[in-house]
Amino acid sequence: MMPRAILAVAVALMVLAFGTSSFAQTDCKKLVPASPWGPNDQTGATNRVTPAVTKAAAAEIKEGKVIPMSYPLTDGVPLFGSRFTKTILTAGSLAPGASFGENELTYMEDTWLSQSHVGTHLDGMGHIGRKDCYYNQTPIGKFITQNNITKLGLEHLKSFATRGVVVDMVKVFQQANKFKGNPACKKPCLEKGTVITAADIQAGLKMYNTTLREGDIVVVHTGWGDLFEQYPAQNALFNSGEPGIGKDAATWLISQKVVAVGADQWAVEVIPGENPKEAFIVHNMLLTDNGIHIIENVRTDLIAAEAAATGRATFFFNMTVPRAVGMTGNFVAIDGIR
Amino acid sequence: MEHRAPAFPARGRRRARVFIPALLGGALLVGLGLAPAGAQRSYVIAFANLTEEPGVTVEGTGFTGREIRESFVLAARAHPIEMVFYDNQRDDARALQNADAAIARRVDLYIEYHRGTANAAIGEKLKAAGIRVLALNYPVPGAPLYTVDNLAAGRVAGEALAQFALRSWRGQPTAAAVIGNLSATADRVPERSQGVTEALRQRLPAVPVSDVDTRGNPAQVGPLLGKFVAAHPSDKLLIAATDDATALAAKAAVESAGRVQDTAIVSHGMDRSIHGGMNDRKEIDPANRGSIVIGSVAFYLDRLGYEVLPLAMRMLRGESFPSRVTTRHILVTAANVFVEYPPSDMN
Repeated sequence: MMPRAILAVAVALMVLAFGTSSFAQTDCKKLVPASPWGPNDQTGATNRVTPAVTKAAAAEIKEGKVIPMSYPLTDGVPLFGSRFTKTILTAGSLAPGASFGENELTYMEDTWLSQSHVGTHLDGMGHIGRKDCYYNQTPIGKFITQNNITKLGLEHLKSFATRGVVVDMVKVFQQANKFKGNPACKKPCLEKGTVITAADIQAGLKMYNTTLREGDIVVVHTGWGDLFEQYPAQNALFNSGEPGIGKDAATWLISQKVVAVGADQWAVEVIPGENPKEAFIVHNMLLTDNGIHIIENVRTDLIAAEAAATGRATFFFNMTVPRAVGMTGNFVAIDGIR
Repeated sequence: MEHRAPAFPARGRRRARVFIPALLGGALLVGLGLAPAGAQRSYVIAFANLTEEPGVTVEGTGFTGREIRESFVLAARAHPIEMVFYDNQRDDARALQNADAAIARRVDLYIEYHRGTANAAIGEKLKAAGIRVLALNYPVPGAPLYTVDNLAAGRVAGEALAQFALRSWRGQPTAAAVIGNLSATADRVPERSQGVTEALRQRLPAVPVSDVDTRGNPAQVGPLLGKFVAAHPSDKLLIAATDDATALAAKAAVESAGRVQDTAIVSHGMDRSIHGGMNDRKEIDPANRGSIVIGSVAFYLDRLGYEVLPLAMRMLRGESFPSRVTTRHILVTAANVFVEYPPSDMN
């Protein structure tokens, strides 16, 4: 009788232990699709950047012209919500008598107090979820410590050395006679709340006789970044909303198997959103459901001007993301190379 | 110029055999309203707003006419609609002129938000011009009406206060007050007050309910509520404020009187003064769950366009719906504020 009771208790404990974990798994399987790269995938869409994709992208480098595509990272630029940056210079060796050796070597260093999603930055797989379910059905609650995430961190990303394609939404909306701007922009910008649809993106591609291919990074020029450049004067307006892609455009871009979508504003997607009761739904669609990165505050005006001047919208997308272990995103520097 | 049917060359006849049925099929789909989104017919919809005077609030809430207009601008993005806006300026003559302008503009549908004697004449004019009308908050004879439901909203507030009292103060002496611009009959605030009182009396029949009329003067909230609080020195206090500004003033008055521990407040409106964005740290906020302002009954006037334009589209498509559609008022608290109002302004 006793062994049978012990067995029953043991079975009950096992059911409780495994049951709890399987409930969490089941929930995430309901909320988030599985990765096409398998159950262990923590990488997402950079799986698409194969050697062949990078080699093909290298063909975009024809003149060696480098176009900056990131904004200066400095105190005072517009930041989302409670994010902050603060730099502190350490220059102690400049004090009299503090230099080293006969050669009087001096040095300076910085302390950078900053959150990672500031300035021109990349959203990683660990950034956005539904409830506690993140990319590839990951129940992220099991993989967080006080300091970082132990799954889906940036260290799992592959290369972003691929082809970039700029779509100039300012021109598309102007040519379609539906342009509505904001007077605070010094250069033309779409008004906040302007929804960019799949048809608009397709029109932007057609403008330069371009089609997307698997592994591309799409960069959307809305002009809203002009307000970023006016920091800090226009920070409040910049943060109050933005033009951006809607759900229809996101769905189409997902179908094109891109690696990332970037834009010259702070969320890539249109704000206010199409449905006032949905929060940053395009983030869920791209990141959580499809592992497609979002790159925010991309400087797009120069590459858009380059495309307009040359009739070519494609370039080699040069961006290195620090393999920051357990981080959900990071500031990046981007160059478009032609 | 004579319009000729396209002639198909001999080698194109096979293509024509495919093309013609496809064309006919397409026409049938369009006829059935099943055409692809890109082929949708677009409409011109006029919205004649009650007022767009800066800072002027409407319906006895903290919402402005400009916020209502903006909700139509945003909601229209999801529909094949060109919006035309008019400002009735709370004036019958202006409202009639606006209807005339819309008739001249040959709009497909007219959304009339006006409180006055001109609504019947406006309805007649538009009907004679073959323009469908959707009335907002105030009836236009013969037109379907979308309206806030003050009585229902008041009941939600009263029910919330009663539930709080039953949960937290069961058996303790309790008094209740409805405070706000209670004489604002034009804004139907008395209906709100009636709803609160009915719900409280139903759930807490022993609790006396007092009316505290500020007559629209926010500066009177403190003194008037101070008297009420002083009159009930050992009671628990249930306060229903008819708008959010009054709720915040009531909270300040209760704090001044040192009666925070004895008080629960429920408001009406759910405007930006009481809830906010990511960092606003307003009264109803997930980071402020201990507030004595339990919640505010949402009126969603800043979402009006999202509620009304789908009805307008149904009218234009010839679909039917009830002749009176009302706002679904719910209590918004610190627990559901980011569900009902996800922060999107990141300042």
